[in-house]
Amino acid sequence: MKLVNDLLRPLFDLLQAPLAGLPALLGVLLWSIPVGIFALWVFGKTSNQRRIAEVKRRIHAGLFEIRLFNDDLRAILRAQWEILGWVLRYQGLALKPMIFILPPLVLVMAQLHQFYGFRGLAPGDEVQLTVQLPPGTAAGRRPELGLELPPGLRAELGPVWVPELAQASWLLAVEESGAHELRVVVDGTAVTKSLGATDRLLRLSPERPAPTFIGQLEWPSEPPTARRGPVLSISLGYPDGRIGVLGRDFEWRYAWMVVFFVLTMVVALALRKPMGVEL
Amino acid sequence: MLPPTAASPARRSVRTAAVLAALAALLLQPAGAAAYIGPGAGFAVLGSFAVLFVTMLLAGVSLLAWPFRMAWRALRRRGRTRPLVRRLIILGFDGQDPRITERLMAAGHMPNFTRLAAAGGYRRLRSTFPSITPVAWSTFTTGTNPGKHNIFDFLDRDPRTYLPRLSSTEIGAVDRVLKLGRLRIPLARPAIRLLRKSKPWWTILGEHNIWSTVIRVPITFPPDRFYGAQLGAMCIPDLLGTQGTFMLFSTRPGGEAFQEGGLRLPLARSGSPDSFEGVIEGPENSFLEGSPKMRLPLALALDRSAGRALVSVNGEAATLEPGVLSGWFRLEFRPIAGIKVAGLTRMMLTEMGEHVSLYLSPINIEPAKPAMPISHPGFYSAYLEKKIGPYATLGLAEDTWALNEKVTDDRTFWTQTADIDREREAMLFAALDTHRRGALVTVFDAADRVNHMYWRHTEDGHPAAPDGPDPEHADAIERQYRRNDEIVGRVMARLGEGDALWVLSDHGCTSFRRGVNLNAWLLEHGYLHLKEGADGSAQWLQSVDWSRTRAYAVGLVGVFLNLEGREAHGIVAPGAAAAALKAELKAGLDGLVDEEKAEVAVNEAFDTDLLYRGPYKGNAPDLLIGYNHGYRISWGCAAGVVAGPIFEDNTKAWSGDHIVDPRLVPGIFLANHPIDAADPAIVDLAPTALALFGLRPPPHMDGAPVVDPARFPNV
Repeated sequence: MKLVNDLLRPLFDLLQAPLAGLPALLGVLLWSIPVGIFALWVFGKTSNQRRIAEVKRRIHAGLFEIRLFNDDLRAILRAQWEILGWVLRYQGLALKPMIFILPPLVLVMAQLHQFYGFRGLAPGDEVQLTVQLPPGTAAGRRPELGLELPPGLRAELGPVWVPELAQASWLLAVEESGAHELRVVVDGTAVTKSLGATDRLLRLSPERPAPTFIGQLEWPSEPPTARRGPVLSISLGYPDGRIGVLGRDFEWRYAWMVVFFVLTMVVALALRKPMGVEL
Repeated sequence: MLPPTAASPARRSVRTAAVLAALAALLLQPAGAAAYIGPGAGFAVLGSFAVLFVTMLLAGVSLLAWPFRMAWRALRRRGRTRPLVRRLIILGFDGQDPRITERLMAAGHMPNFTRLAAAGGYRRLRSTFPSITPVAWSTFTTGTNPGKHNIFDFLDRDPRTYLPRLSSTEIGAVDRVLKLGRLRIPLARPAIRLLRKSKPWWTILGEHNIWSTVIRVPITFPPDRFYGAQLGAMCIPDLLGTQGTFMLFSTRPGGEAFQEGGLRLPLARSGSPDSFEGVIEGPENSFLEGSPKMRLPLALALDRSAGRALVSVNGEAATLEPGVLSGWFRLEFRPIAGIKVAGLTRMMLTEMGEHVSLYLSPINIEPAKPAMPISHPGFYSAYLEKKIGPYATLGLAEDTWALNEKVTDDRTFWTQTADIDREREAMLFAALDTHRRGALVTVFDAADRVNHMYWRHTEDGHPAAPDGPDPEHADAIERQYRRNDEIVGRVMARLGEGDALWVLSDHGCTSFRRGVNLNAWLLEHGYLHLKEGADGSAQWLQSVDWSRTRAYAVGLVGVFLNLEGREAHGIVAPGAAAAALKAELKAGLDGLVDEEKAEVAVNEAFDTDLLYRGPYKGNAPDLLIGYNHGYRISWGCAAGVVAGPIFEDNTKAWSGDHIVDPRLVPGIFLANHPIDAADPAIVDLAPTALALFGLRPPPHMDGAPVVDPARFPNV
């Protein structure tokens, strides 16, 4: 997973660079076009197109049947029952292409989440830094905790040690914009963590993940912590991303995903005929 | 397209494992990414919910509205009925001949017909005068003679111009048009009028809240509006507005124009020696000044080593093999931005050697989004398309013209006919599954088409089979009749308590060996005169001098007098003079002998004044010609040609016919209940259908029920 992230990280940084100054909605729209095309292509190649067309035809037939025999309650109910059966078949047919579409899209989504899921910090903002130690490693004692901050960052509070969770936290204040790197020292071993203070749509790393598959899949922006090191993961409480749609701002880390989902569907819908794909 | 192959057990288990692994991955993936499942799957999920929502909504609305609808129907109902049957299922096998049927039944080749006859009854069914499809089925539909339903022939003539026109449908032009430069925006739909008069019996059933499904009964374009569903049939045009125009693209230079229903179009090389292009001629574009034809470029790329070709139109492609008909291919014409006119065609490479030729069947109106009203309700054609897939909509869907012109061959015609027959069967069973009460009528055309086109293979010395019958097709007619028997068997297996089943044909068939040019006979006997210097070879009676002509033949069945006050240039005074002329013509035509063959060609010429009753009998030909076995109107005469001999051999593949003395070609009638009438006629079936649903046939109907209602307990 680390290798995949090491390859994808510069690629997505490069692709996102021209979009960094654009509104989030526009960036998401531009990303949705190639992704929609790709997903549509994969769907077309991996699904049973003939069967999907047939099943959709049968569903339409059922709907027509309800209209046609609208005086006959038994016919209506039977048509409904048949439609339900065809809908289940339709979903079953979408399963296979989903298997092929999902892995690359999860990687893309995880990368894009680093740009659109969170907002960069601004001078004057405060943010919580949480260091997660491996459970049990500090049992019965408080570990030696230190924090080395670059110019532009200041520790307001901390460390606060929570033995039950094996967590240490600091409250940091941002004084200057820029890409900062801080060092957390636990029992004499230092671990770095990036912090982005920017108003552009640049890569943020809300978490330096543990060296697990799932951790690295979800948080690909920084290399994982060392295996069997004193620190499991380090997270930063960035504010949720914000996306403006139809004059309204939606502030939620997954709001961009909803927009992206809708836009890729619109792209797929618009291109399904030119690309000859039955959805 | 290759058929899907069955997966091996090992492959299946790998597939299952992959699906399970993927599902596991889905469940285990990070929460953020789990929100996203891709457009395809997204559509599946959202689409499914949308479908279920719409279904529930429709069902809910239907349920809520049901009591009000029932109350409304009860208010509008014309009296209560006490049906004697739950369902009346009628299978029409157009043109199925009683002589062949009886022979096959006797030989044990039609066991279901035999079983049905034993369970109920079998009779020969008197047809109409004339015994042709549009007339006979119109009589079936209305229970009246042609003088009341106004259909006397396939073709009528316009008395103002003497030109032939379709007898059953009139498609008007749009007179309210908004002109914007070259654009012409129609402000109304063109009026499409069914010229068949009188009231169909399913309309009368509908007035009593009895549902009918009527599939492909001829002369139902535009469709009837009644309580039920109907898919139109004979006289539904193709997308070009004709009754079926095939296209032949060919690299062969020149070539004569086809006599019947076909266009010869060039196929030109484009770039490489094995790449060709042509242009499909579509319907007229009424949105543009001058209504130019819409065109679609067609590309053909040959792969000679593989023995196949790739044809591309509209961005869609299909692989063709020589001599093999493609499936339905969708053609989409765009008169202006945002408007599409779609049709369906089937293609076949007819040669792929030094020269390349590509056949396109007539472009059928697409049933999913029909350009014209071909069904009632309007979405019924789309419903059937969704239920069974694309299907032929053209009135005479089997391409007899292409076989007549030797563009296609017997094998291709058989395939085409059998495919259409299967489509029809699928429609029937789709309806049968949903039809719980009322009438269900389905007409199958294959027997008629096979009779017409393969008769030459059933007898020695037929001029259309100079080398003798082709053994491959000698039993084609019997094969088709046996297939009809199978359909009957399958329907019988689905009958329930209170279901009545009828099997009928509108007429039979006989040999068509010699054509009779009535206009040549009229010319020879001084009733018809040509213009100065004309030789009579021009089509559509263009060489006739109307100022001296007293009688002429137009259409397929009869002779018209050139009557003063009726025809534009009429010279025969109505009344005594007309009656005398008619009697004179009848005397000349009765028993007309073909001297060359020493056979009687015309049994009798019938005075239609005596045959018909009703308000429209004035539109009928004045004399109806009852040909003998082996004779029919000639192809030339049917096209309005006067020149040539009176009698000539018929050398076309269309070698069997029923445009003869109707007494020679009765139809068949079988029912799963006793038939009390000894000599039933097709005109009796509408009153019988009404009687089975407990209704008294209206007085205007000419027939009478063929069964005693007292035989049936009420259901």
